[in-house]
Amino acid sequence: MAHDYKAIQWTPFKKRYDLFLLLGVATYLVLFFVFTAGGQPDGESLHPVQIAIAATGSLSFLMLTFILSIGPLARFTDRMKPFLYNRRHVGVATFIIALLHAALVVIWYHGFSETNVFVSLLASNPRYSSLQGFPFESLGVAAFFILFLMAATSHDFWNAHLGPGLWKALHMLVYVAFALLVGHVMFGFVQDQTSIVYPVLVGSSALWVSGLHIAAGFKSATPSDVHLGRFIEVAEVSAFEEGRARIVTPSKGERIAVFLHKGKLSAISNVCRHQGGPLGEGRVIDDCVTCPWHGFQYRLEDGRSPEPFSEKVATYSVKVEDGMVFVDSEPKEPGTRTEPVSLHGEDAL
Amino acid sequence: MSDKDDFFIGWSAETPKADRRFFMLAGLGLLAGTGGAAALIGGAQDGGGPGTWDQGDIQEWRGIASALPYPTLRTRDTDGKIKTAFLSCLNKCTPELRINQYRDGEVVIRGSAIRRGEHLMIATEDSGAWISQASGSLPDQLALPEEEALGSAELRGEILDTKCWFGAMRPSSGKVHKACASLCIRSGLPPAFYVKPLREQERLLIITDRRGAPVSQDVLPYVADRMRLSGDVVRKGDVLYLRTDVSTFERV
Ligand code: FES
Repeated sequence: MAHDYKAIQWTPFKKRYDLFLLLGVATYLVLFFVFTAGGQPDGESLHPVQIAIAATGSLSFLMLTFILSIGPLARFTDRMKPFLYNRRHVGVATFIIALLHAALVVIWYHGFSETNVFVSLLASNPRYSSLQGFPFESLGVAAFFILFLMAATSHDFWNAHLGPGLWKALHMLVYVAFALLVGHVMFGFVQDQTSIVYPVLVGSSALWVSGLHIAAGFKSATPSDVHLGRFIEVAEVSAFEEGRARIVTPSKGERIAVFLHKGKLSAISNVCRHQGGPLGEGRVIDDCVTCPWHGFQYRLEDGRSPEPFSEKVATYSVKVEDGMVFVDSEPKEPGTRTEPVSLHGEDAL
Repeated sequence: MSDKDDFFIGWSAETPKADRRFFMLAGLGLLAGTGGAAALIGGAQDGGGPGTWDQGDIQEWRGIASALPYPTLRTRDTDGKIKTAFLSCLNKCTPELRINQYRDGEVVIRGSAIRRGEHLMIATEDSGAWISQASGSLPDQLALPEEEALGSAELRGEILDTKCWFGAMRPSSGKVHKACASLCIRSGLPPAFYVKPLREQERLLIITDRRGAPVSQDVLPYVADRMRLSGDVVRKGDVLYLRTDVSTFERV
């Protein structure tokens, strides 16, 4: 029996998480209206619909910035994990707010006329060759479709049916969407406004997101370029913690999680068969590696889920030389029994 | 502490204590940050201008209608001043004035006022009965004014639609509003030229072609961009017209 598609249950944590999310959205929208009204000169006001357009647009941009920060931050501290595993909720909320923004824009700016709204949206400004006049609307439309695709396939059902690889590739498009949105805001709203606050905010969001990813990339780039034949260096024996793993990235193939459990080292693929969760960030519970995402389990010695389940991941040979741990870069067939290496036996030190 | 105590598993019903504490703090921090961001982003927006439009406040306006270059009504404003009010319908469109039918006669138009400073536009009521022939004699003061040539000029500014700028939208200029302004002008609403900076601009010039007729659709690509326009300025009562030629338009 395979786990197959299984709906993930609601937990008190998820409820609290969503409550915060809802509260955050409401706080932003209400305060945005209040401060917009307060910021206007006497006798002037912005139209409520146009305030709502600016509020929803800026909020979805901020939320996307937040979403993109969670992944790299979680590489620096485990405490971000709860945010990581519930990132999708923020993603779907972001899409809903972007949808509101798009609907208001289409109705307000492009509607109320005999001209087709989509003609107005995409053809009213043909100045694609000009920086100053660039039709920022088209960038927003493209980003919106990416967010739509992601929100529509965000459910576990799609993850199970597209397979973790394709699903992940699809969801990497979020970076394209973010880049498009930076352009959309810069060539649109920011260009129109006189305050320095806006270019500074958008610029720092873009810098923050790219800087974080570069820093996290450096952090997790393990020195796997030290080779012993097919074997790559993992870490010194002393760097291992009981019940936890060190993760290495071979030059090709899936990342490898090398676990220390009861004084023995064993290596399995880092990729959970359920939804691609990072097994190396999990813990050994009841002699099984437990995926931190939804708790699928795999035996250390053969990469198989305990009965009655039938998931299996690849296993790898491990060896220790001069106090340094190496792992074979070539995976064995998923589910292949591979004897763990004892740190206390002769074969170790 | 058991294995599970500080290990967060997404599906698990128990959240480790350390995670709960971090999550509460981070959550509160994020909420505060969200509020700060709303204040900063909302509060720093440019002014929307002093335009107003109360769509529900339908009034009857007596005066003399003319269709060219754009539909207008010479009328007495609520404060008694005689003005040239431009006419629009409720949406981004222009009411059809079958001018011959009302030539030389006083009419009554039903509609709501869109105003910005001294500028007035009447958004006519959305029904067939928005205009009717008025009975009684024509007061002299409302007679269409003679036109007066003020010479040629070269001006820098932005092409906008009068309806939005008078108060239908706030803000009503710039790139974000470009597509909307294009729709309005395409539908026959009078395009205007505002000399930058907008804030210090008290008068606006209504754009017509060289002969004083409505501008062609060729003007549309230039809407909301920074422009240099040259032409002849003509005054007709309280309205300034800029007679110009789209082929001489220059982006700045
Ligand atoms: S990804 Fe769901 S349990 Fe591993």
